[in-house]
Amino acid sequence: MFRRLYNLRSRISAQLTIAIMGAVAMTVISGMVGWYSFDRVADAQRRVSEGTVPAIAAAFGIAQQSGALAAAAPKLAAASTQLDLTYAGFEIQQNREEFARQLQLLEELGGDEEHFRPIRTQGRALVSTIVDIEDLMWNLFAFEASRQRLRDRMAVLSREFNHFLVPAIDDQLFYAMTGYRVLGEVPMVRTHAFTDSEILRYRTLSEVHSGTTVAFEILATVFNTSSITLLEPLRERFEAVRRGIHNNINTLPDGEERRLLDNLFTEMDRLGSGEGSGFDIRQRELEAEIELQETLELNQSLALNLVNNVEKLVSVAEDAAINATAASEDAILTGRNLLIGISLASFVGAALISWLYVGRGLIRRLSLLSDHMRVMAKGDLEREIEVRGSDEIAEMSSALEVFRQHALEVQRLNLVEKMANELKAKNELIETALNDLEKAQDQIVMREKLAALGELTAGVAHEIRNPLNFIKNFAEGSTELLEEMVEEIEALLADVEENEETKERRDLVQEIVDDLVENTRLIRQHGTRADSIVQNMLMMGRGSGERQPAAINPLVDEHARLAYHSARATDTNFQAELVFELDPEVPEMHIIPQDIGRVFLNLIGNACYAADDRRRKVREADPSARFDPVIRISTKKLDDGVEISIRDNGTGIPDDVIGKIFNPFFTTKPTDQGTGLGLAMSNDIIREHGGTITVDSEPDSYTEFTVHLPFDTTPTTNDSSPAPPD
Amino acid sequence: MQRAILPRLCAAVLVLAANLAHADEAGVDNDSVTFGQSAAFSGPAQDLGIEMRRGIEMAFAEANETGGVFGRALELVSLDDAYEPEAAIANTMELITEENVFALIGAVGTPTSRSAVPVAHAEDVPYIAPFTGAAFLRDRQWSNVINLRASYYQETEKIVDFLTTSLGIDRIGVFYQDDSFGQAGLRGVQIALERRGLQMVGTGVYPRNTRAVKTGLLDLRSANPDAVVLIGAYQPVARFIAWAKQIGFEPHFMTISFVGSNALIEELGPASSGIFVTQVVPPPHGNESAVIIEDGLLHSVGADTTDTSLPIVEHYRQLLARMYPQTPPGFVSLEGYLAGRLVVSILESCGVSPDRACFLETMTYHHVIDLGGFSVRFGYDNQGSDAVYLTVVDDQGRYRKVVETAGDAGGGE
Repeated sequence: MFRRLYNLRSRISAQLTIAIMGAVAMTVISGMVGWYSFDRVADAQRRVSEGTVPAIAAAFGIAQQSGALAAAAPKLAAASTQLDLTYAGFEIQQNREEFARQLQLLEELGGDEEHFRPIRTQGRALVSTIVDIEDLMWNLFAFEASRQRLRDRMAVLSREFNHFLVPAIDDQLFYAMTGYRVLGEVPMVRTHAFTDSEILRYRTLSEVHSGTTVAFEILATVFNTSSITLLEPLRERFEAVRRGIHNNINTLPDGEERRLLDNLFTEMDRLGSGEGSGFDIRQRELEAEIELQETLELNQSLALNLVNNVEKLVSVAEDAAINATAASEDAILTGRNLLIGISLASFVGAALISWLYVGRGLIRRLSLLSDHMRVMAKGDLEREIEVRGSDEIAEMSSALEVFRQHALEVQRLNLVEKMANELKAKNELIETALNDLEKAQDQIVMREKLAALGELTAGVAHEIRNPLNFIKNFAEGSTELLEEMVEEIEALLADVEENEETKERRDLVQEIVDDLVENTRLIRQHGTRADSIVQNMLMMGRGSGERQPAAINPLVDEHARLAYHSARATDTNFQAELVFELDPEVPEMHIIPQDIGRVFLNLIGNACYAADDRRRKVREADPSARFDPVIRISTKKLDDGVEISIRDNGTGIPDDVIGKIFNPFFTTKPTDQGTGLGLAMSNDIIREHGGTITVDSEPDSYTEFTVHLPFDTTPTTNDSSPAPPD
Repeated sequence: MQRAILPRLCAAVLVLAANLAHADEAGVDNDSVTFGQSAAFSGPAQDLGIEMRRGIEMAFAEANETGGVFGRALELVSLDDAYEPEAAIANTMELITEENVFALIGAVGTPTSRSAVPVAHAEDVPYIAPFTGAAFLRDRQWSNVINLRASYYQETEKIVDFLTTSLGIDRIGVFYQDDSFGQAGLRGVQIALERRGLQMVGTGVYPRNTRAVKTGLLDLRSANPDAVVLIGAYQPVARFIAWAKQIGFEPHFMTISFVGSNALIEELGPASSGIFVTQVVPPPHGNESAVIIEDGLLHSVGADTTDTSLPIVEHYRQLLARMYPQTPPGFVSLEGYLAGRLVVSILESCGVSPDRACFLETMTYHHVIDLGGFSVRFGYDNQGSDAVYLTVVDDQGRYRKVVETAGDAGGGE
């Protein structure tokens, strides 16, 4: 049991467990230190929040509300409409209630009665001044309203006075001056009109008019003055003017005019004297303004004291808060230092563990192991892996060693298999080469045969030409002899009697002679034809020649027919239609006619073969089907040369083959029918003439070879292959 | 101050709301264009306001009978200011901010216009055809004023020219209302006299809106002029003339268009005979014969020779007979009618969606607007017509055109 535990000592898992447990222990210790510190801080904070914070809050509340109260009076005084005043009053009502509530709160908390008492008394005093100010403001508005009413009444009254007095004075003056009072009436004589009493009446009316004007001006001044001391002298002046008006009106005789003026005067008197007059209202208004001013000043000083006291209260609360805060800061500092110490110890421990144990013991060995793996991955499996110790890394090392040995074996097996494959591929190559070789050999033999056949043909031709000459010459001679014989017979028969019998015999002779002449002509004609065939065979066999001017169209025509007959000769079933489209503008060219002819022979021969081949294939597939092989041969004069094209409607050339057709020894015909040299040779010949051959084809549709010969037929210098098909 | 801001704010809000609702100018909606008028409908100048309104309403009703202007009926809101400037200001504010009118038209009087124009100008509201010839309204600083009629200066010039040239009179006095209107007329006469190297021989004054004219009469009588130019409303002027005749003071009485010609005759009765009145619109009666001045004396020419009235005057008479059969034709209602027709004409040229700016642009065109023979032309100034007609009241109480003959007419210096 203990032994097993002892052995576990060397395992990494066991070591890691021990390390983690150590870390947990450190964390627990840190936590406990933290707990202790927080407890102390919380203790200090509790002291702050239970004792000082409500006091500060209440003090600040009072400070705020006392500030609002201090601002209340100016706000009320600044109200310019009754609506403003109502709003301000409502707002201040709220401030007052809040102030009282905060004060109550602070007193309930207990504490310094010495600080609260002045605040309470000053607060109450302040509130009472505010109430006074509000009342005064309402009074002022009321005064202003009644002043406005008086002003309006005054305006009406003034207009009424003028309405009556201005025409009255006008009329009175006119009457005194002219004696007329009513329009259309007879005027009063001057002695009656221009009397003392009329003049006095004019004076009275004028004085009443000017008196009322002055009185209204005085009243207007009263409404506008802001100095209470000015009111008394104005009142005195108004009374003097009023007395003057009154006296003047009293001098007027009784009547409607007097009554009207009396009424107006009484109205005016009400505006100017006694309670509710302009003076009274204005005086009370100005007094109220002064009182308002004084109350505002009192309010300001009270507000100042209140604010000062509240500030003291706030500073006491603040001191308490500062002390409490300092205590909690102490606790925080201690806790912090302890935590820093533990953190440092943990850090050093962790550094030592990672350096000594992890770095030196584990990582170095793991990286050694990974080096081994990398080397193995590159393919080097020869290096042996060393196994040390008894922990998990040692197990991993031994496992890797086993893997390495397996891999080594597999690698060797792979090598053998690869070599076997290579050998097989090489054998196949050799076999292919052998096949090619055999094919080439066949072709060489074929060429030898053809060369021998050529020489043989040349010899035979020469031998045949001599007998042919004899045939031709004797046929000519025979013709001449026949003519002489006819003349002789004519002469002989001249004397013979003409009768039924002789006429019949003479006609018979004539008939025989005519047949003979015809026969000799046929002999000579066919002899000439045989000679020309032999001539051609000789040309073919010669294989080369001199450059000379030659017409292209006859050359094409001649070789086309040759190829056609050659095809007919090899296969009696062969049939095809030759269509010529020869351009008469095509000029003579400086060429080697035999070579160019061979090219045409070759191309047209191929065309015949392909066309016939397709016909045969069509027949095989369906005996009733009809296919007409057509070979279309055309020439055309271009700006820079001549173009000859040979087009057949034969089997066509497959795409995979078309690139190789100009290669020597490439053929699609059966071995005994083609040498694979025809197109290669043709290409060489055309290139020697500076021209090109191109091919265009579609399988089972058509093939068209186009030869382009330039007017300048010097050979092309570059040895390029022919242009690829379109 | 506080009172003035609120209506302006209201005005701004109303204008904005109107714009949002119709994407249109104030006073213009889909089926109407509203105009405002502040004039005297009570007091000693009430006939002027009433007749002016009658003329404008005739023109509007005529346009509305044929479907309005571009489908919009023309409407008129009239408020009474009793010829008092304070009331004119209050009315103008009310018309602009509460009635939300497109333009103001047909105000009566110089002191009232003088107070109302700045209010309208602040809001860029057109102020069309005020019934006054005061010079200050011809000042281009009032970009919103469109005058129809000739100025007082032109009228007094005509009077002085007539007096000095045709009648050979150079002792001229002035009786005037003691306000800006009276001052304008006084100044006009002074300018005309100074141009001729003459001086005024005397003046008389009366307070506005009173009948206290006798003191002024006495003043003038003592100066003893051969002609008195009367610058005032019809009641005081009529009273002045009546009393002057009563006391045997009978110079030539000359007065200007503002007096309100029909009202003057109604007020004065037979005593109105021989009073010269300058007019700024053609004589509206149609059948007046002219009066020819020869050797400084008036001679009537036959009643059948001078019916040369313009097509629009003929038209006005027919319309008046149809709409107000009890009302005789008059200079003031004709002026109102011309003002209404001018508005219709400008509105038509402004197209389907009229705005104030377009309306006022009319004053920058130099073309002639022909109102049925009565031509107005803006562009050089904001005054459409320069026409001044001199008329005289005959013994039948009818206005007759004064024709000055060449040759014999030169009775003056």
